Amino acid sequence: MLESPMLLSRVPSVPHGDPADRRTISYDDYVKTGGYEALDKALGMEPKDIIEVVKAAELRGRGGAGFPAGMKWSFLPPQDGEQRFLAINADESEPATFKDQVLIAFDPHQTIEGIAICMRACQLDTAYFYIRGEYHHHRDIFENAIKEAYTHGVFGENSRMGKVNDRWPNLYLHRGAGAYICGEETALLESLEGKRGWPRIKPPFPAVSGAFGRPTIINNVETLATVPPIITNGAEWFKTHGVPRPEGAPPHVPASYGTKLFGVSGPVNKPGVFEEHLGLKLSDAIEKFCGGMMHGKKYKGAIPGGISMGVLGRDQYEAELDFDIGKKYQCLGLGTACVTVIPEDVSMVAMARNCARFYSHESCGQCTPCREGGNWLYKVLSRVEQGDGTTKDLDLLLEVAGSMGSMPGTTICGLADGANWAVRTIMNKFWDEFEAAVSKERFVSLAVVGQ
Amino acid sequence: MAWITKNSSAPIADRTDTPYLSQETKDHFEREIIPRYPTRQAATIPLLHAIQHDHNWLPVQAMEEAAEFLGIPASAVMDTATFYEEFFLQPRGKYTVWVCQSISCEIMGNTKLVDKLSDVLGISPGETTEDGRFTLMNVECIGACGGAPCALVNEKLHENLTVDNVEQILSGLD
Repeated sequence: MLESPMLLSRVPSVPHGDPADRRTISYDDYVKTGGYEALDKALGMEPKDIIEVVKAAELRGRGGAGFPAGMKWSFLPPQDGEQRFLAINADESEPATFKDQVLIAFDPHQTIEGIAICMRACQLDTAYFYIRGEYHHHRDIFENAIKEAYTHGVFGENSRMGKVNDRWPNLYLHRGAGAYICGEETALLESLEGKRGWPRIKPPFPAVSGAFGRPTIINNVETLATVPPIITNGAEWFKTHGVPRPEGAPPHVPASYGTKLFGVSGPVNKPGVFEEHLGLKLSDAIEKFCGGMMHGKKYKGAIPGGISMGVLGRDQYEAELDFDIGKKYQCLGLGTACVTVIPEDVSMVAMARNCARFYSHESCGQCTPCREGGNWLYKVLSRVEQGDGTTKDLDLLLEVAGSMGSMPGTTICGLADGANWAVRTIMNKFWDEFEAAVSKERFVSLAVVGQ
Repeated sequence: MAWITKNSSAPIADRTDTPYLSQETKDHFEREIIPRYPTRQAATIPLLHAIQHDHNWLPVQAMEEAAEFLGIPASAVMDTATFYEEFFLQPRGKYTVWVCQSISCEIMGNTKLVDKLSDVLGISPGETTEDGRFTLMNVECIGACGGAPCALVNEKLHENLTVDNVEQILSGLD
């Protein structure tokens, strides 16, 4: 069990406090509890040394992909005197994900401090906090926290960071307008430039040519909020948390060090967001942190971190939630570590249909396999759910799902991989339910198709 | 609403001599918002939010005014406006009820809520009541899964809704 939280040290959460006692930490309260000490320490360090510390800590991105943050920071080209940007991804739109909003609403300065340290380390002069449009309350709080940071000389003229690229550092909030795809990093940049959120073909990668054609770093809120404790306490301290790399694995295989915000939703007694070591067992998350299943319902499956990660099956109740979960339990990965618990009385066909509808609705429409395939999956799954499906439909679903995404190489971004993994893992792990839902008597003929 | 085409170019409202984009908004943007970005186009989404905040939706004329102010083609502004779920290109109710239909909310029983709200308001999702007070929307995840099922009424979040208490989210509104 985690003795003292690093992300939620000021935000009461299970088991260290009662979430009902949460209130927004102001700049003054933040500073009184050791806030901005990490920034002061970072300002006394060479930028490249800050990156080395984050690299040594093996901090992996908390937004879903788990890409090593220190490595991302080191991809930037040398400074050329022009602007360089940081885009903070607070477009938390993956269904069942609600972790960053806790940091934004209750301890915004920890994230802001992480932003400032990142700007110092990577020599970035302007940061945009891209927050999803539906977070109205959170937007007001963060806007206010940014004002406080300006008042106290974190950003703006006479910032304690000094000039970067011959400019005073700035942090601005940029509100999205309701599009899941804008959480994809290059779509976020397009949206920031005032265009439709259409993911870009890579390369060039954002570190070389990102927002407004300039070098840009894009990090998740939680990743940046993890940076101040790493700077204060050092990489070795950070690595005493979480799960080391598997025995015998070479050093380039990233481990799952550190703590993570977990958010559990669905039919549990106390759904919510809490912090724990990576590697927490799903069963412990449900039973120890969330008070067990509601009304004596039975566990049937769970989605480990946003629907694009696929599903954990009946026999995977003991799964360890770390970045290795994909390989061990046949799903795409840990994702955002926001678990959705699926009880015995909910049909998995309905769950697959819900996921397919989401992807069909949120596809940006650039790539045909995603735009058409998502809708196709949704229609066929709706048909199976209504009892009008045939065995052949199941083969068709697997074929369509398996051929869309950036991993089969048919789309620009990973949105379709989400649809692919969600539908395929649900079908494969709960095949009995799908088989029971279709008629084995009926055959598809052209006459039926034509109706 | 991503790739689903919106009816963007049909003039629903007559043109007016009073501009949708007020001088006050222009001044505010010129002073505060536009200097934040290297290009004027980057202020498109903030500007559309500001206009929609004042007028509750985005008529074609408003998008043209925004384009002129930003110095970009009107088609570029419409291209952006039609992409995002939150921008309304036709008049909507004074209150927009956004009911989440994503996975956690479905597990916790959101469909019954939508049926109940449809009954109470007498409209299907996507429609506006005749008196112009309410628009009902079925939307994907609004990021409050710990309180599923949940809904937004304009900017106010309501969590842990049930068939019995869902009507309350409509009460107390003028």
